[in-house]
Amino acid sequence: MDGMRQRLRPPSFSGRLHDARTATVIGRWLGAAIAVCFLTGLVSHWLQHPPRWLVNELPPRPVWGYRLTQGLHVASGLAAIPLLLAKLWAVYPRLWVWPAVRSVGHGLERLSVGVLVAAAVFQLFTGLLNIVEWYPWPFSFVPVHFAVAWLVAGAVLLHLAVKAPQIRGHWGRRSPGTLALPPEDAPDRRSLFVAVGAAVAAVTLTTVGQAFTPLRRLDLLAPRHPGIGPQGLPVNRTAAAAGVTAATVRNWRLEVRGPRRYTLTLDELRSLPQAEAVLPIACVEGWSASARWGGVRVRDLMERAGASRDAGLRVVSMEVRGAYRVMEMGREYAHDPLTLLALTLNGEVLSADHGFPARIIAPNRPGVLQTKWVTRLEVM
Amino acid sequence: MPPRGGAAPLRYVTGALGVVMMAVGAALVLSNRDAPGVLVWLGGALVLHDAVLAPLVLGVGLLVAGLPARGVVRGALVVGGSLVLVTLPLLLRPGAPPNPSALPLPYARNLVIVLGAVAGAACLVLLVRWLRRRPRYTEDDGRRGRQAPRR
Repeated sequence: MDGMRQRLRPPSFSGRLHDARTATVIGRWLGAAIAVCFLTGLVSHWLQHPPRWLVNELPPRPVWGYRLTQGLHVASGLAAIPLLLAKLWAVYPRLWVWPAVRSVGHGLERLSVGVLVAAAVFQLFTGLLNIVEWYPWPFSFVPVHFAVAWLVAGAVLLHLAVKAPQIRGHWGRRSPGTLALPPEDAPDRRSLFVAVGAAVAAVTLTTVGQAFTPLRRLDLLAPRHPGIGPQGLPVNRTAAAAGVTAATVRNWRLEVRGPRRYTLTLDELRSLPQAEAVLPIACVEGWSASARWGGVRVRDLMERAGASRDAGLRVVSMEVRGAYRVMEMGREYAHDPLTLLALTLNGEVLSADHGFPARIIAPNRPGVLQTKWVTRLEVM
Repeated sequence: MPPRGGAAPLRYVTGALGVVMMAVGAALVLSNRDAPGVLVWLGGALVLHDAVLAPLVLGVGLLVAGLPARGVVRGALVVGGSLVLVTLPLLLRPGAPPNPSALPLPYARNLVIVLGAVAGAACLVLLVRWLRRRPRYTEDDGRRGRQAPRR
C-alpha cells in the first residue's frame, strides 16, 4: 500500500538551484525584458491603429522613434526566450507540489501562474513565428498578440504582488532568504547566471543587426539583413504580391482631392520643387534600415489642393489586395517637412518593389504605413 | 515573512492593477472571432513547455550533472540551445520565403558557425581554467606562481 502511494506521488527534484534566489535574479531580468516588450508593443499598436483622439497628436519626431521602439520590441522578445525558459526551469518543481491545491487562495495563485506561463510562452512563440512570417494558427496574429500581451503583463504584476515577500527576501546576496539557502550553491548559481546572460548576449548579437546596423556583420540568424533587398533595402511586400504590374502603372496619374482638386503626371510631379530626407524604413517585424529619399513634400501637394493647416490626409494605393491599401495620417505627419511623396531611393528611381511610381515616406512611422504605389491623396 | 508595513499598499495596488490588466486581456481574447482557437493554442503553449520542453531540459541536466566541468558544459548547452530555438523557425518554416529580401541568409550554415564559436569559447574557458589550476613545475617555470602560464 505504501509502495503504491509512493508510486502515485508526483516526481521529486533533488537538483540544485531550483530556489527563490535563482528565480528572483532571473525573474528580474525577465521582468525588465517583458516590461520593455510590452511598452514598445503598445507604442507600435497605437502608431499602427491609433484611437481617434490620438490621430492628430502622434509626433513625427524623433524620426528614428519607431525604429528604436520596434527594434527593442523584437530584441527584448528574443532575449526573453532564454530568460523565460531559465526562470521556468528554476521554479519547475513547484508545478508538482503536493498536495496540488492546499486552499482556495493557493488554488487561485496556481491558476494565475498557469495563465502567466501559458500566455508568456504563447506570446514569445507567436512573436518568434511572426518575424519569419509563419502563421500556422487559426487566428489573426495582430489582435491576438495584442490581447495576450495584456494577459502576460497583468499576470506578471499579480505575480510580483503575490511573491513580494519572497522577492524581497532573496533580492540581494545578503538578504535573509538568500542567506538561508545552502552557501555551497552560490558559485554554481553564479555560473548559471553567467550562462543565461551569455545566452541572452549570443541571441541578441546574432540578430539585432537587422535593426541596429552597426552590428549588421553579426546579423547571422535574423530573418532580415539591412543591405539585402531591391536597391539594397529590404521590402515586406513585392509589387507582384500587391498585384501591381507594369500595365497598372502605364497611364499613372496622381490625383489629389481637396478644396482644389487636381491631377499630375509623373513628369509634372518631377518638375515640382523636390526635397530630400534621410529616413528609416522600420518594419513591425523588427528590421529597419535607413535610406535617402527624394520627392515632393506632401504638405506642398496639400497646400496646392487648398488644404487648411490642420487637415489630415488619406492615401490610397494601387495595390489590389492588402489591409493597408488605404492609409490615413494625422495632421502632424501630413504637415511635417520630412514627409515626402518619394520618387527616388538613394538617388535612383524607385524600383517596382519599393513603390514605383510614388510612395509615402514619413518620419517615426511603422513600415506598413509607408504606403507604396500611391495613386490618390485625399485631404481630410 | 510578512510584508513590511510601508510596502503593503503598493503590493495590493500592484496586484489589483495586474488583475485589471488580466481582465482586459481576457476580454480581448474572449471577444476575438477565433477565441476557441486562441484558447487551444494557449493551452498548447502550457503543455509544450511543462510536458515537453522542461522535462527535456531536466533530462539533459541529469546527463550533464556528473561531468567534471559541469558549469562550462551547462553554459555551452544553455547558449547553444537558445540559439537553436531562435533559429528553428527560420529552418522549419514551410514554403518559399515570402519575398527575396525575407529570410535571405544561409541559416543552417550560420547556425553551425555560431554553435562552433560557442563550443570553441567553452573549450577556451576550460583551457584557461586548467592552465590556472595547473600546479607549478619548477622554480624556473613558475617564477610568478600560478599566473605564469597565462598569456
